[in-house]
This record gives sequence, structure tokens and C-alpha cells, in this order.
Amino acid sequence: MTASSTPLVALEDVHLSFGANEVLKGIDLTVARGEAVSIIGPSGSGKSTILRCINALLAPSRGRITVNGVRVDALRSEAERIALRKRIGIVFQQYNLFPHLTVLDNITIAPIRILKENRAAAESHARALLERVRLADKVAAYPGQLSGGQQQRVAIARALAMRPDLVLFDEVTSALDPETVGEVLAVIRGLVREGMTSLLVTHEMRFAEEISDKVVFTENGRIVEEGPPAQIFHRSGNPRIRQFVRGLGAREAVQPGEGI
Amino acid sequence: MTASALPSRLSAAPLLLAVTACGAVALWLALDPSLGRLLLEWLPYLARGFAMNILISVLAMALGTLAGIVLGAMELAPVRLVRAAAIAYVQVFRNAPHLVLIFATTYIFPFEIVAFGHYVPFPDWVKAVIGLAIPASAHTAEITRGALQSIPTPQWDAAKGLGFSRIEALRFIILPQCLRRALPPWMNLYASICMGTALASLVGVHELLHAATDASTAVSRTDFTVLTYVTVLFAFFLFCYPVSRLTQRLERRLAR
Amino acid sequence: MQDAIRGFIALAGQVGLNFDFLASPFELRMWLDGMGTTLVLVALTLPLSLAGGVVLAAALTSGRPWLAGPARAYVELTRNTPTLVQLMFTVLVVNMLISQALGGAQNNPFGAYFWLVAVVSLHVAAFHAEALRGGIEAVPAATVEAARGLGFSRLEVLRVVELPLALRTALPAIVNNLVNLVKLTTIGYAVAVNEITYASLMIWTQRDNVVELMIVLLLFFSLINLAVARIGAFVERRLAVPGFGQ
Repeated sequence: MTASSTPLVALEDVHLSFGANEVLKGIDLTVARGEAVSIIGPSGSGKSTILRCINALLAPSRGRITVNGVRVDALRSEAERIALRKRIGIVFQQYNLFPHLTVLDNITIAPIRILKENRAAAESHARALLERVRLADKVAAYPGQLSGGQQQRVAIARALAMRPDLVLFDEVTSALDPETVGEVLAVIRGLVREGMTSLLVTHEMRFAEEISDKVVFTENGRIVEEGPPAQIFHRSGNPRIRQFVRGLGAREAVQPGEGI
Repeated sequence: MTASALPSRLSAAPLLLAVTACGAVALWLALDPSLGRLLLEWLPYLARGFAMNILISVLAMALGTLAGIVLGAMELAPVRLVRAAAIAYVQVFRNAPHLVLIFATTYIFPFEIVAFGHYVPFPDWVKAVIGLAIPASAHTAEITRGALQSIPTPQWDAAKGLGFSRIEALRFIILPQCLRRALPPWMNLYASICMGTALASLVGVHELLHAATDASTAVSRTDFTVLTYVTVLFAFFLFCYPVSRLTQRLERRLAR
Repeated sequence: MQDAIRGFIALAGQVGLNFDFLASPFELRMWLDGMGTTLVLVALTLPLSLAGGVVLAAALTSGRPWLAGPARAYVELTRNTPTLVQLMFTVLVVNMLISQALGGAQNNPFGAYFWLVAVVSLHVAAFHAEALRGGIEAVPAATVEAARGLGFSRLEVLRVVELPLALRTALPAIVNNLVNLVKLTTIGYAVAVNEITYASLMIWTQRDNVVELMIVLLLFFSLINLAVARIGAFVERRLAVPGFGQ
């Protein structure tokens, strides 16, 4: 049995309800090490909830979740969950950064306080990461002084500063101006090419098609279809998926300046 | 646990506390019937005292509001001297402790005044009213000024554009909005003045705290003293808490 | 020093104000003691109220009903009853019960001064807590989730993210509460703590110069509260972060 055959992330029959409202109705999903998986689907289909189950921000009512050999659904204490979260990076749609700290402090605060790195080591690592996301000159800036795209790039650098095994992206470009979307996608593209295991919830279809090894379509708390990008985006047998893909594609096609 | 699940449960907490406390007190009274009889005996006396608190608070608030609205308008007057006088008054009396002001009116004003050849007594409680009306007026002035200043000038332009005269604009557009913004802080001020009325006990006014001290001294039983002061706390809480909740609800509604 | 005092008394006399008491060493000392006591009371209750406010705010926003419930009940109770009544209750009832439990007043280490500091600090702490609670609840859920996602515990998130942001949002309300705190120290009069109102009253009942002492009292409190407001503005400037809360 090779190491690559054991998935890094495995969800089996995961159910989750908020009160009487069942949001996840039996999710089965695997992500292999080094794989990039995109989750697409209509709003309210449970995509973001899946991500939050993986790093134990939410607890499923039923089912098994395994990350790197750890049974996430069986974690009982907050300390155990925190230990898990140190190994998983997560970037949200907005309000990621801490507005009262500089960019450098935003990136170094977790490695210093949680991983107990010394300040000099953490800061040099942070600067290297800022170079990678092309924001080296914003070291002393505050989040309030940055554009949305710049903030998201810093947020990705901050997640990487913890040297995670896996990064979760929750619609990270949905709140951005179309012009700045590209710069964030470029960073994610680079990350995926380097082999970082990534799970993305996204509406950016062309991007998902380009970088994903696997695409998953969710609706109403269930996975309707999963497969390689070419299959989901171009050869799906499911009319709902074809309709959704067409709808997203139409939105992407109308860029500012193209004229209708 | 999501934050949205909590508020309804937490808002029940004070009610739960009140009910539990009532239950505990009732149990205590049941265990010692003489205590219950004493409390019932003194309750009318205490209630009269509390009526005095309410009277003082209402009158002080009425006086203070009238004076405060005038002062607030004066703070925005075009004449520099008028503005300066109003601002000075407000600054001094907003920073003055209520107790100091009650002492001022009690000790400075005479105990009787001569009006048209007759000696009219100047009762202590009236002095307390004036004493509390002063900070009420200073705070109301600030509330009024804040409310007036918070109406953006485009509102005036829009009103005039629609054809309202200055007076009509004031009456139909500006003042209603001012009232909306002023109401929650004004209600908070009332709560603060109401609680300030307890200070009048220190200058001999026969309000609730004074009555409670009288009662506990007369009976001089430890458990009765405890019960009396618990009753005083209860009386204020039962009066002020609904006002506070109403203010919070208004604040939320008017914030839209 | 004596000459300066005599000069001032003479000057005041010309305007019709009676400051003779300054010439009496006993009264002068008692009066200065009163001023000092008020200043010490403010210096003690101010930080205590802030510490209490943070603890209460943490309890209120903890999400655990067994913490938040009692905290909420305490906040509502102390906000809706007069501080004077709370002080009298504490000194007459709670203190007496402690004395009885310890076998007599001589064994009771707590005096009126202690209870005054405790009651005033805890009373204002409740107002700080409400202001901070509003600030904490205003922090976007995503920012809190981002902090938890990094691996911070709930307490660490409070300390590192929620409180710094809540403090900036709640600062005007907190400064307001502190102005009220300064004014509240005067209820020490009711339990015979020699703060400035008590000392002033001792003098004016003897010398019948209420107006003069009132002027000084009003000036005194105006100055202290001006200082509090200035310090508040200074702290606000120091904490200000570009792009946040503007």
C-alpha cells in the first residue's frame, strides 16, 4: 500500500443539521495528498459547511471525517481540535485579517503564539511568504489600507505561515472586484502547482477547470456528481449541472468592457 | 453554540432571577410569619416613600427637559455670547456629581421664601427636584444639540425643494427625526435621574431609602433590615428594568 | 505658603467670598485630605472597574449559559438599582452578615472604604461590560473564525482579536462611564468616607460658606473629568489604526 493511496481527507456519510434544518445529507468525499479538489454548486448547498467540518469548526451529527489519520468527528476536547486546526489552513471570503495588526503581525502572530516560533524566524518566514504573494512592500501596512485582493493574498500567506498539510479556500474571490480576482487566483495556482493539497469552494469555473484534479458538484446537501473537470464542465449527464455550468459561464463571459 | 440561539434565553435571565428571588423571599416569609406581618405593616410607609422618588424624578425630568431643550438650541445659536454661556453651563453641570448639586440646592436655598408678604415654606423635596433638574437640563442640552446636529443639511434642502417653509420643514421633517434620535438617550437619562432620587435621602427627604432606614431602625431586627433593603432594591429594579428594556427595544427600532 | 493663603483669602473677601477656613490648619488639612481621598478613590476604582468590565464582558459573550446567565443577571441588577442603595445594602446587610459569621465586628477586616471601592468599581464594571459586549459582537464572525481556524483557543481569540477591536469601538462609551465613575465616588459621603464632598460639608456647616465651597467642588470635578476626557482622547489616538472604524 503506497502512501498516495490513503487519502489525506476522507468524509464518509457525513450529516449535519442546524437545529431542524439538515444542511448536509450524507457527504462522501476524498482528497488525496497533493490533489486539488474544487467544490461547486448553488448557494445553500452546504459547500462552506463541508469545509468547516474538516477543520472541526463545526461538528457533524453523523458520519466519519478523517484528516491525515485523525478521526475529526471523534475529537472530544477543544485542545484536540486546536491541534488539528494547526495542521489545516483556511481562508474565508472576507474579513480574514485582523484589522488592528500590521500585515507582518497578522502573519506572524499565530506562528509565534501557537507554534512558539521565535520572532526573528517567524518574521523572516513571513517576509519570504509575502515575496511569494508579491506583497513584500506591504509589510508595515494595516489591512484597512489594502485592497480586497491584497488582503486575500495576505490571508493566504498567513495560512501558509503555519506550514499546513492542507489548505481550504472558502469562496475567497467571491467578494472581490473582477480586476483583483486574477491576482488571488495566480497565488492559488502557484500553490497548487507546488503540490499543496487544496480544497476550494469556488464560483470561478474556468479557474476550477484549469487547476483541479477533481471537481465535485453539490446541491441540497448532497454530492450530485464528481469527476475530472472535463467531465463535470463539458460532459455531465446531469441536466441540472449543465444548466448551472452554463449559468456560471454566462456570468463569466460578460466581463466589464466587453459590451453587451 | 451559535450566537443567535442565546439572546432569547439570556433576556429571560433577569426575569428568572426576579422570580427566584421572589420565591426565596416568599419562602423566608412563610417560615417566619412575624417577619411577613412586619413587612406588610411597613409596606404602605415604604410605598409612600417610593411615590416621592417617582414624583421627584418626573418633576426633575420635566423641568430639566424644558430647560435643556432651550439650552441645547442656545448651544447652536449664532450669537457667540449666548453659545459660550450655554456651553459653559453644560460643561460645568454635566461634570458635577448629582449629590453635590442636591447639596447645593439644599444648603444654598433658604428653608422658606417670602412671596408677596407671605412666608412660603421651601420643602426639601422641591430642592431635590431642582437639584436633579440641573444635571437633567445639562444632559438634555447635549442630547438636543446632538440630535439637531445629526440631521444632515441635505434634509433641509430636500424639504425646501418640496416646497416646505422653514417652520413647516422644522415641524414635519426635522423635528420628528430629532425626536427619534433623542428618545433613547433621553430615556437613559430618566433612568439615571430616577436612580439619583435615592440621593435625596441624604438630605432628609422622606423618600424610599429614608423610609427604609426609618423602618429598620424602628424594628431593629437584623432579618427585617435585610428584608427592607431587599425590598428597596426590588422596588427600583421593578420600576427601572422595564424602562431599560423599553429603551433598548426603541433603540433597535429607531436605529433603522 | 501661609502668605499666599492669606493673600488669596483677602482677595476672595473683596469679591464677597469667604475662604477663611483655609487659614485654619485643622480645616485646611481635613479639606486637602478629602481631595486626596477622592483622587485615591478614582485611582483605585478606575482600573478595577476596567478589569471587572473585561471579565464580565468575557462572561457575557462566552456562549456558555452558566457563565453568561449570572453575568447578565448581575449587569441588569446593578444597572437598574441606585448605586447608593447597593452601597447601603452592602454595608448594612452584607458587611453585617460577614461580621456575624466571623464572630463580631472586630474580626471583620472589611470597612466602609473597602465596600465603597468594591461597589463603585463593580457598578461601573457592568457598564463597561455592556459597551465591550457591543464591541465584541461587532467583530465580524469571519474574523473570529479566521482566528480559530489558525488554531487559537476561544480565550486566545478573545484576548488577541476580539478585545483589542472591541476596546477601540467601545472607547467613547468607556470614557463616558469613567466620567460617571468619578462622580460616583461622592456616595462615599453616605458611609462617612472622608472624600471631598464630606470634607466640604463639614466645613460649610460650621462656616456657612456653601457657595464658595460649591464653586471649588464644581471646579474640582470639572477639572478631573476634563483630564479623564483628555486621556481618553489620547488613548483613542494611540489605538487608532488606519482603515478601521473610520
